[in-house]
Amino acid sequence: MAMKQTFELRVNGRIHRVEAAPDRRLLEVLREDLGLGSVREGCGIGMCGACTVLLDGRPVSSCLLLISQVHHQEIVTVEGLGGHGTLHPVQQAFIEHFAFQCAYCTPGFILSAVALLEREPDPDEQVLLEYLSGNLCRCGSYLNILKAVRAAAQGRKPPSS
Amino acid sequence: MAVGRSVPVRDAEARVRGTIPYLADLRLPGMLVAKIVRSPFPHARIRHLDPRPAMGIPGVVAVLTAHDFDRPGAPRLFYGVDRKDQPIVARDRVRYMGEPVAAIAAETPEAAEEAARAIEVEYEEQPAVFDPVEAMQPGAPLVHEDCPNNIFLHTRLRHGDLEAGFAAADLIVEETYTTPPASHAALEPHGVIAWWEGGHLTLWSTTQAPFVIQETLAEIFGLPRESVRVIVPPLGGGYGGKGYVRLEPIAAALAWKVHGRPVRLILDRFEEFVTLTRHTACIHIRTGVRRDGTLTARQVEVYWGAGAYADITPRLLRSAGLVRVVGPYRIPAVHVDAYGVYTHLPPAGPFRGTMSFEGAWAYESHMDTIAHRLGMDPLELRRKNILRPGDRFCTGEVIDEAFFLECLEAAAQRLGWGQPYEKGEGTRRRGRGLAIMMKSTLPRSRSECRLILRADGMLELHTGTVEMGQGAHTALAQIAAAEMGLPLERIEVIGPDTARVPYDATTSASRSTSMMGAAVQKAAARLKEEIRQRATPLLEANPDEIIIQAGRAWLQGRPEIGLPWEEILRRHGLEALEAHGVFETQGGLDPETGQGIASPHWHQGAGACEIEVDTETGKIRILRYCAAAYAGQVVNPALAELQNQGNVVFGLGQAMMEQIVFDQGQPANANLSDYPIPSLRDLPNELISLLLESPEGSIHGLGEMTLPPVAPAIANALFDAIGVRIRDLPITPEKVWRALHGDEADL
Ligand code: FES
Ligand code: FES
Repeated sequence: MAMKQTFELRVNGRIHRVEAAPDRRLLEVLREDLGLGSVREGCGIGMCGACTVLLDGRPVSSCLLLISQVHHQEIVTVEGLGGHGTLHPVQQAFIEHFAFQCAYCTPGFILSAVALLEREPDPDEQVLLEYLSGNLCRCGSYLNILKAVRAAAQGRKPPSS
Repeated sequence: MAVGRSVPVRDAEARVRGTIPYLADLRLPGMLVAKIVRSPFPHARIRHLDPRPAMGIPGVVAVLTAHDFDRPGAPRLFYGVDRKDQPIVARDRVRYMGEPVAAIAAETPEAAEEAARAIEVEYEEQPAVFDPVEAMQPGAPLVHEDCPNNIFLHTRLRHGDLEAGFAAADLIVEETYTTPPASHAALEPHGVIAWWEGGHLTLWSTTQAPFVIQETLAEIFGLPRESVRVIVPPLGGGYGGKGYVRLEPIAAALAWKVHGRPVRLILDRFEEFVTLTRHTACIHIRTGVRRDGTLTARQVEVYWGAGAYADITPRLLRSAGLVRVVGPYRIPAVHVDAYGVYTHLPPAGPFRGTMSFEGAWAYESHMDTIAHRLGMDPLELRRKNILRPGDRFCTGEVIDEAFFLECLEAAAQRLGWGQPYEKGEGTRRRGRGLAIMMKSTLPRSRSECRLILRADGMLELHTGTVEMGQGAHTALAQIAAAEMGLPLERIEVIGPDTARVPYDATTSASRSTSMMGAAVQKAAARLKEEIRQRATPLLEANPDEIIIQAGRAWLQGRPEIGLPWEEILRRHGLEALEAHGVFETQGGLDPETGQGIASPHWHQGAGACEIEVDTETGKIRILRYCAAAYAGQVVNPALAELQNQGNVVFGLGQAMMEQIVFDQGQPANANLSDYPIPSLRDLPNELISLLLESPEGSIHGLGEMTLPPVAPAIANALFDAIGVRIRDLPITPEKVWRALHGDEADL
């Protein structure tokens, strides 16, 4: 086992010092060391998106990243969206459009959608697919997920006329 | 009214904030991690197993092997809900690749991993068999020595005179269909935390059947039931894979060795593939039909490859495995023979659409073959034979709530069945297909619940129903709210926790909303009676002049004379008032003839689709899919719709993508890259969900109905498009291509 080192992570706007072996997976650091339960393991190989986090604004699979690769970078998990008593518009849209069943996949989808809307405020169907097809939903809530993301995109548009 | 409204699920906010506590989020003081050592061979004798090297590794707290069992004061090694054929850890023989041979509890995952590698096991490989039909042949390797031909159960259904039926036919069509093992692939893996304190065992488990777990573990450890407590956190998907007994015995036995500290076992994705699969099924179906399309006889032989241990299969075969393979048709003579067969594969069990999926794959593909041979429209052939209200099914029971035709026609009409459409040209061909299915729910099962009205006006609903994303807790709260006339915010759902809530059989077979819902209705009626009794002296009136509704008790015709329920409790000095509700279904089939009552009501779902197939690549695109289910009374339309969509998406994976490929018993694709499940890119271009409601109808669970028709509807559309009949699932591009370019070309 590799020797432990100290890493500095910026997660949800706060700085954390974490003692860990450099080959410890980011997924475990977030879940086990920082108690961020929204980051979940589904496949462990970058296929399902349940472990998605935003790394400097990009959605990435935290199961594929090692802590040594994210030193000093800005990480956002679903716990970092919204605030006390308020939800991020994408979260709100997921509730309004019944965009989940078991919700194991939901934080991953929400983060992918947030990243999408940051970059493409008015996504067409092709772009939606590009951003969201890396996340899997075994319960099959896809149609409502698309509805929710489209609605969130609509809500961001400045009111026309 | 709380019923019939689309309200968001109860804990929606926690779900989008990611704070909903699944099993993997639970933390207990002093919790150890467990790791299972698994067999690398599908069939082998264990010549030697030495756990000692593992015990010396720092951080290792306990190592469990078969030696720990069957001694005074020790747990029993063998368990099973029907046949006690399965050891908690293998003793002298392993029967599938991935079978547990030892387990470790350690302070850290790293120590557990290291210990798992250190355990020395010497195997002697034995010949193995993987296909149920091969396993039944004389001379096939035996999975269990006491089970000749590897057949552990043969059940029968006998209805009418089969010979006369075939004699009356103008045409007899005979085909064989197969379905491979598949993985439930819930994104949340199976997990258990087991904790012994004193003589008491507490388990947190990702199970759909807490009371079955309680009973089984009490038996394994020789304890009274009350000494075993099972708590179920919200599940990250179940689909049948978390039904019945899975990891609980091994986790509990390990915790028993450790004693005093909780032990947590969570599977990785590979282990998920070797823990429970769908059955490997082979279905021979033979049907006699008159020239005008009237069915005269049907004979079905179905071989259910159950893997190395019988698990729940015997129970399924006594009813589901018979009645779910026939189809919703009026046929004067029907014989079914269902065989439960051992193979050297991981155990198989319930799987969303259990046995209806396999049944409908065969009988609905077969119906189109018949229609083709008769030169008849597939919808017309079905219309002619379909069960209508008052008809007798092959079990002898009369089907009253029969909406099969309505479902089929709704789906067909929405697709535009019978109207001309673009058939495509060149290498892109289009076709249309449809299918219907009939599924029983569990006969002879019981659901109980408790309603507790608190002095603060809140109503607690105590229920053993597991919330796994289907929205059952929300639907049940809606039913309770509607019955009591309370706003939804005043209902609190408690459970499942065997120490707090009354008995419920399982959360499976789409039974919860309907059965637990009925129990809630009964409890509500009783609770109102309790309130009435307490209100009577206070209002100084006859009990039958008092109205109990919407949080108040008042005099009929004089609403101003009344009291809030809280006030009634307070005046009586009561902290709470409670009532129990029980709903039980009767029935069951005669073991020799399959006659009797298979189901208290029938699930009914249809699908119709238009596809485009690329003849150069064999790739199928679903242009439009219409899924119609008979929904009866709908509690929450948005959730019902969501379940219905989920059925189709899940069904698409089963139809076109999913198969665990076992190469000589070794899973060759046990990960979510080589075993793809449907993503957004696999959706039909258009997916239309149709729910047939009937306000007087019963409440139906909707989590399965439209799933089984998906595969045959697509296969039938494929046949329509290019004249190729696929009989072995899944319908992959490669199979389509091979069928087109040689190999299996047919008809
Ligand atoms: S767990 Fe990381 S992508 Fe599936
Ligand atoms: S809601 Fe269950 S996996 Fe998406």
